[in-house]
Amino acid sequence: MFQMTKKGAGAAVAGVVVVTLALVPFRDTLSSATVALTLLLVVLLTATYFGAPPAYLAAVISFLSLNFFFLRPFNTFSIAGVENWIALFVFLITALVTGELSGRARRRAEEAQQRKIEIERLYKELQGTFARLSEAEALRRSEQLKTALLDAVTHDLRTPLTSIKASVTTLLKESNSTSDGNSQLHLDDEGRQEMLEVINEESDRLNHFIEGIVELARIQGGDLEFKHEWGPVDEMIAMAAQRAQPFAEAHSVVIAVQDELPLVRVDPRAVAEVVYLLIDNAAKYSPANTRIAIRARREKDEFMAIEVEDEGVGIPNELREKVFDKFFRARPDVAKALERPSGMGMGLAIARGIVQSQGGRIWIEDGRTGRGTRIIFTIPIGDE
Amino acid sequence: MNNKRVLVVDDEVQITRVLRRSLSGHGYEVQTAADGEEALEAFKSWKPDLVVTDLAMPNMSGLELCRRLRAASAVPIIVLSAKGDERIEVEALDAGADDYITKPFGMDELLARIRAGLRRIDSGQRAELKEIVAGEVRVDFETRTVSVKGGEAHLTPKEYELLVFMVRNAGKVLTHRVLLGAVWGGDYVEQTEYLRVFIGHLRKKIEPDPSKPRYILTEPWIGYRFAIES
Repeated sequence: MFQMTKKGAGAAVAGVVVVTLALVPFRDTLSSATVALTLLLVVLLTATYFGAPPAYLAAVISFLSLNFFFLRPFNTFSIAGVENWIALFVFLITALVTGELSGRARRRAEEAQQRKIEIERLYKELQGTFARLSEAEALRRSEQLKTALLDAVTHDLRTPLTSIKASVTTLLKESNSTSDGNSQLHLDDEGRQEMLEVINEESDRLNHFIEGIVELARIQGGDLEFKHEWGPVDEMIAMAAQRAQPFAEAHSVVIAVQDELPLVRVDPRAVAEVVYLLIDNAAKYSPANTRIAIRARREKDEFMAIEVEDEGVGIPNELREKVFDKFFRARPDVAKALERPSGMGMGLAIARGIVQSQGGRIWIEDGRTGRGTRIIFTIPIGDE
Repeated sequence: MNNKRVLVVDDEVQITRVLRRSLSGHGYEVQTAADGEEALEAFKSWKPDLVVTDLAMPNMSGLELCRRLRAASAVPIIVLSAKGDERIEVEALDAGADDYITKPFGMDELLARIRAGLRRIDSGQRAELKEIVAGEVRVDFETRTVSVKGGEAHLTPKEYELLVFMVRNAGKVLTHRVLLGAVWGGDYVEQTEYLRVFIGHLRKKIEPDPSKPRYILTEPWIGYRFAIES
């Protein structure tokens, strides 16, 4: 705590000496109580500025000074009269207690100050740690994203490229070998046709993949600008169904919209995009000649709910959140069984991104007949 | 033409579609399977002469398929892999695959590997042969001598063993592990620098130009292959 510093001791001695010298010329006229109070002041000040130990020193020197210079007989340590004795010892005790009390107060103040500094330091440290943690978290996420992207690129770009390259090199070889006449390659029309079809489909798939990546990056980058304008939901759905037609040719797409739905204040392109993605998804994971139903209804007062339902195998409960994660595919085996190229696992991630950006929610339920998948999303109707 | 049977295993429909068409166009009989389990079924019932398989598949990975096939037969296996996956290529080769080809590939390249794989099986009776001739290199098993362009090449016993192992597996990609295990024994499978030294010596003794090897080809990061005569 407080050490008796040289400065403290010096101040104690100096204070007492100065007061003593100042008062000695008037000792005949001054009462000993006045002198005692003045010396007490020195003790008090010493305690306040330098803590208890110098204050004790000041108290003892004051006691001696009072005794020697101011209590009769002057200039001796002998004391006349009981009253003076009592006064002297009361002074000593008062001085010591004063020193102790004000020293303690000072100590408290200093301790509080130090605690404050310590707390500030801890706080800063904690803040720094939090900052570093969130940095590390962000880094980890972006690393994860990079890995996922890389996986997607290695698989989803290379697979279509492999089919295309194998087809093209076969077709090239055929055209070369027929021209030089000694062919060991025999393709029938059907085979040739199938290879061209594969090339066509796989080019579309690549393009689709690239569009998806770009769209996703735009949504994540937050630079997707949405216009907000009043429009009818059924038009947006019709727009999407039309766009999705090439993907959903083998299915019957049924649209059922509640009568007299209010207009909604959203970006019509965004809503159409979500519906389109959901139709695409439904067509991908349900068998041909089944139904894809699109419905729209008012949900509570301020929301519109739009759902796309298919008659496929459905999505197990535990995967219903995960399917909205980027690059996650719940049932690649289903697409396979249906002899269709599996998706990239981006459609639903994009859909969720858009729905959330519009202030809505998206989730999955069982189909109404108990089988199939029903994906529902809401959009706020908007204020006047 | 030939009527060799090729089993194509890939979980991507488009790839099996194309390979089926193209390989049948080249006179092979083709069956396809979408995963390892299906492939094993087809292998048992259909007895293909060669298997082309993807590595990443649901149900049973290509790696496991290689292991299972190899445990049951010597059928040549060519794995389809992605560039940059040397680790898994090596695993597949160690698991029994004969060769690998990285996606995307040209059909000619795949056809060449298929032909090489089939040829290796055609001359599968090599173990009983008295000699093997590869280009200008002639290995005589009875006298344990090797001659290049008619002149005898003096090989140390280990060099001879290494060469014989490679020649007997000509056309097949041999990983460092496989070569070290076969010639030096299981304790040495990590000692790739041994192998590099011996391959260097062998090339000096049998290659016309050791800096541009014709017979002992390097498969970067993976191992070596003795070129099959074409």
